[in-house]
Amino acid sequence: MNCPFEAAQREESRRTFFAHSGIGLGSLAMATLWDPPATTGQAPRSVTPESLQPRQGHFPATAKNVIYLFMVGGPSHLDLFDYKPQLERYAGQPMPDSYIGKVKFEQIRDSHPLLMPSPWGFSRAGETGRYISNLLPETRKILDELSFIHTVSTEESVHPHAQLLLLTGHRTAGRPSLGSWALYGLGSESENLPGFIVLSSTVVPQAHDGILTSGFLSSIYHGVQLRGSGPPILDLNPPPGITPQENSYVVNAINELNAASLASKGDPEIAARISAYELAFRMQGSAPELVDLSDESQHTLDLYGVDRHQLDRPSFARECLLARRMVERGVRFVQVNLGDWDHHGSIEKGFPPACDQLDRPMAGLVQDLRQRGLLDDTLVIWGGEFGRTPVAQPQKTAPVGRDHLIESFTMWMVGGGVKPGVDLGVTDELGFHAVEDPHHAHDVQATILHLLGLDHTKLTYRYQGRDFRLTDVYGNVMQKLLS
Amino acid sequence: MSYFLYTAGLVGGTLWAAITPLTATAVETAEHQPQLKFSTHIRPILSRCVGCHGSAEQGGLRLDSREAILRGSSSGPVVVAGDAKQSSLIKMITIGSQSGLRMPLGQNPLTAEQIDLFRIWINNGLPWPTDEPPLAVTDPRLNHWSFQPLGHAPPPAVNQRDWPRTPIDHYILAKHEALSLAPSPEANRTTIIRRLTLDLTGLPPSPEQVARFIDDPAPDAYERLVDRLLASPHFGERWGRHWLDAARYADSDGYETDGPRPIWKYRDWVVCALNSNTTYHDFILQQVAGDLLPETTAHLKTATGFARCGKGGSTPGKRLPITLIDRTNTIGRVFLGLTIGCAQCHSHKFDPISQREYYELFAFFNSSDDQYLEFATPQEKDAHNNHKAETATLQKDLDQYELVLATQLNKDPMLLNSLQQPYDRTILKEILALSPDKLEGSQKAFMRERFREIDEEYRARHEQIESHKAATPVLTKTLILRELPDPPDTHIFIRGVPEQKGPLVEPNVPACLPPLKTTSRANRLDLAKWLCAPDHPLTARVMANRIWQQYFGTGLVETADDFGLNGARPSHPDLLDWLAGKLVQNGYGIKSFHRLIVTSATYRQKSEYRPELQETDPQNRLLARQSRLRLEAEIIRDQGLAVANLLNPRLEGPSAFPYQVDGIMSGRADRSTWKMDTGPARFRRGMYVHSWRLTPHPVMRAFDLPDAAEACTRRLRSNTPIQALTLLNDHWFTEFAVALADRTLRENANQSDTQKIEHMFHVCLARPPTPSELHVLQRLVRQQHDSLEESPERGNQLVQAISLPITSPPVQIAIWSAVSRTLLNLDEFITRE
Repeated sequence: MNCPFEAAQREESRRTFFAHSGIGLGSLAMATLWDPPATTGQAPRSVTPESLQPRQGHFPATAKNVIYLFMVGGPSHLDLFDYKPQLERYAGQPMPDSYIGKVKFEQIRDSHPLLMPSPWGFSRAGETGRYISNLLPETRKILDELSFIHTVSTEESVHPHAQLLLLTGHRTAGRPSLGSWALYGLGSESENLPGFIVLSSTVVPQAHDGILTSGFLSSIYHGVQLRGSGPPILDLNPPPGITPQENSYVVNAINELNAASLASKGDPEIAARISAYELAFRMQGSAPELVDLSDESQHTLDLYGVDRHQLDRPSFARECLLARRMVERGVRFVQVNLGDWDHHGSIEKGFPPACDQLDRPMAGLVQDLRQRGLLDDTLVIWGGEFGRTPVAQPQKTAPVGRDHLIESFTMWMVGGGVKPGVDLGVTDELGFHAVEDPHHAHDVQATILHLLGLDHTKLTYRYQGRDFRLTDVYGNVMQKLLS
Repeated sequence: MSYFLYTAGLVGGTLWAAITPLTATAVETAEHQPQLKFSTHIRPILSRCVGCHGSAEQGGLRLDSREAILRGSSSGPVVVAGDAKQSSLIKMITIGSQSGLRMPLGQNPLTAEQIDLFRIWINNGLPWPTDEPPLAVTDPRLNHWSFQPLGHAPPPAVNQRDWPRTPIDHYILAKHEALSLAPSPEANRTTIIRRLTLDLTGLPPSPEQVARFIDDPAPDAYERLVDRLLASPHFGERWGRHWLDAARYADSDGYETDGPRPIWKYRDWVVCALNSNTTYHDFILQQVAGDLLPETTAHLKTATGFARCGKGGSTPGKRLPITLIDRTNTIGRVFLGLTIGCAQCHSHKFDPISQREYYELFAFFNSSDDQYLEFATPQEKDAHNNHKAETATLQKDLDQYELVLATQLNKDPMLLNSLQQPYDRTILKEILALSPDKLEGSQKAFMRERFREIDEEYRARHEQIESHKAATPVLTKTLILRELPDPPDTHIFIRGVPEQKGPLVEPNVPACLPPLKTTSRANRLDLAKWLCAPDHPLTARVMANRIWQQYFGTGLVETADDFGLNGARPSHPDLLDWLAGKLVQNGYGIKSFHRLIVTSATYRQKSEYRPELQETDPQNRLLARQSRLRLEAEIIRDQGLAVANLLNPRLEGPSAFPYQVDGIMSGRADRSTWKMDTGPARFRRGMYVHSWRLTPHPVMRAFDLPDAAEACTRRLRSNTPIQALTLLNDHWFTEFAVALADRTLRENANQSDTQKIEHMFHVCLARPPTPSELHVLQRLVRQQHDSLEESPERGNQLVQAISLPITSPPVQIAIWSAVSRTLLNLDEFITRE
């Protein structure tokens, strides 16, 4: 990439801050400052200098980057990926007695709610002939590659808590998010872009910033959310009349003064800020190019369903394409949120448009990554905070929908070392519970870290006298998914 | 000891009152009938139930008293007194365990004998002898620390007697001494005055104020500084904004439409209340129930805007359950420090708050209506009325012209031939058959549409009236609560769904807290009095903790919004209680409370990291030093405005519209625009920037302005490259930087570069630069100077990009704004040290 700012930086290499590599002055200064005293041996983790410098995990990774397509609201797996013919057979019949008391509904009150098959039906696709909803005509083209976990469970049936549990491992806000843990473990491969980026133009998740914070980890691992409307990143250009070169003088001065401040005050937040300025400075060169989709071929735009004449219009399609561009440029963890899955009522009306938003971009992303050879080391994950009930949720004044289901729901993964075409876990004939290979959300998290070369039991951070980890004291790697 | 008999004749709906005398006499005569003894037969059965169906009210059901059993669960009755067969309770204890529903859930079933006895008891009418108390439910959760009364442990004795300045310091130091830590020394005076000025007013001290304080030899220099700052009207703004986070204040409705709402008068109320040194008691009382106080005024009614700050538009008379739920949850979070919102759908998972209790709290808000309070001054009213009268005159003239047109048409209907838009010819025929002055409303409307099409003058005059109407001066009003004279019933929303109404509830407070002090039906005023009563264990602790948190970064209880069982324990429980005790002290002004904290030795410490504390106290919970705190979004703006000499210190009034990026308001459902202020309003403080819930100002959002979706009791302090880009390149900060450069050049016209740099340092950081800092900035000046030599016109570009009256030469501005930008971007500038 030809970047005028980098040229300016090189001129300033005497000052060394931007000379090369991701090692910021901050980390250097911290290392000096916190060099453990010889007598105490190794420094405790929480004062270990932290940086975005890329580093090795615990073992060789199969995935370098992650794209997490997070479905806010909890999509109905029974209308997408988990085909239950018995629901068709028993359509409209009350939930059998044997289930009573074993399903924790969020809103349904009837003791015998009525079973509801998918109104749109399923059909076989791909060489393996697996079933997929008729609402996903594009995704069926990539069906053979996808590996499903049909039996993910969670404990939280309320949106914000469930979102936090899936993405931070804990039900309340304040813990580091998945992307932050990944950066903490591996650092960032991109010198010019944040290592953890969140795209969420279609929805504000109920957990708000709770799913992108770095929690007790250093602020340098915090997720950077791009704007949902207008330019994704503002303020990338120097003020009028100021050249990039002059901006580099200013940034150099800022960081030199901040470094002095760090040396005298020792606050790691200053190191994080130095690092943020280094990155921000480089983003001025790299980010405009990142978000400018005009160099994408018509073929690619069509693959995602992005309109050439509305390249700036916020959409899930645009964000999936941006996600590919990000991993191409070394962004470690991209999370793309898609909303509108909370169909308690009027599911027949609301679900198809949601699928329309999802289908082409999601399939296009996987195909595009595959074509470019990026899928080998990019893990793509799809899933919401929970699934939805096989029974209809009656509504007084509106058509029926489906309630939250936390006992068992579907997620899928592809790429990044995941064995293609796996069907992990089986739910019962009606789709309420796992009957084979049940997995908790913590297992999904453990597996994501594993694919990144990180042992979820060893990736810890000492805080308030205890070693915290993403999976708390739980989590098992889903070995059957690994190739 | 009381016995009673199985007597078929006493079943049915018979009241216990009627049963008691009979059973008492029956005992002696019917020795051979099967006997049931409540204490030995029934109480042991019920005692197996009350773990879940006591105060925990699983499923909304309590089984700890006869009354509660008869009341049933949230789905309805569970027993029919006198008819065990019809009682679902019997079904629940006898159903097959494979159902997963058999009670007691997950435990051994009741024995067949017990079930028989229980049947008999129900058939018998559930007799509960008068001398048998309800089942004593000892819910261990009730022992949770925060539900206990405030403690009164005296400040502990310490060895280092010369360190403490206030009782606070005893509590802090005692812990240090127990762990062999030493507190940090007092921060130097420049740090102190900047810290205090930022903490108490949200603005930086001027170089003159700094110099005066540094040179003040008086022993009470510190205290006088505190008093000066507490007396500043900006104190109310600074602390008002903290409160507005909790109040989830915004200038728009949220949800999809996010239309604008008039509620800035409530913001003014908060600022004014804090500036007038209100007591904690009045501050709460007035916001919860100012409208119900006997001596209520417009000012007190305005305070009830607190409840109205939540998301969701509303029309007076039409109350949406979702807004009432928001109010209930906010009371829980902001005053009780409890996540009671969890009990909206089912009893709380961790805290002893049942779903019933949730709706009992909800009931306080269910009896209020949403209202506007009009605030027009006589001048405003006059202007408004005059304008309306003008509109009316214009309309009257037009009406006459209409008559002329209609008469013409009657004579010459051919005029209508030019109509292009489709219309109903039959209606037209009817109208033309009438005399023009006899037309009815709908007919007139029909004709007006036609006139607009065929007659240019009519069209022009009509448009003039429309735009005149649109320019009608707004009458200031604000959102308030008003108690309904005849409040509706409140039902439990089964599973939180408003359409699914469960049992009726009355306004009440959770049983884990002290009871309400009222005998009649309680209203919001009773709730308010209950909240701010000195014996309330939560409200004062929660409030004291939040104030503490702003001064030290973390509260004594880290989870400022959760004092429940799932929340964190206090680091200094006795100190928390002592502080809370101060708040509830009669007549104790809130400023005294702030004074107490900021005059403590704990507060006055240096904030520098101490490597030796990293192991014992990495999060600084023991406060052996102060904390460095990144400033809030609004304060970063305010500081920029202040050092640039641009700040408009106006305290009150409607929100302002400073510079905004183009297109930020596009794609909104609401049609409002961001009409940028051009006058002094564009330089008002950050807290007055108009806040759209769905479209926060990007600069504010970058620095973690909360989204006002719900009460925010602790802001995130992130540290991102987006923040760096904002401070470096955003228009706001470019303006500040240019104005600061201009100010520096003007105020140091004949001074050296070094002196100019020193001046900027004093203005921005309240201190002189170190030699190496000076060196860096001198180099920057040279670089910038050299860079501009080739193209000095770039100075003009910079100056022209902002609309400020700049007096210095553009090239000089371009050189010196490099320095001012550097300072505005420093970590130290956006941090309270």
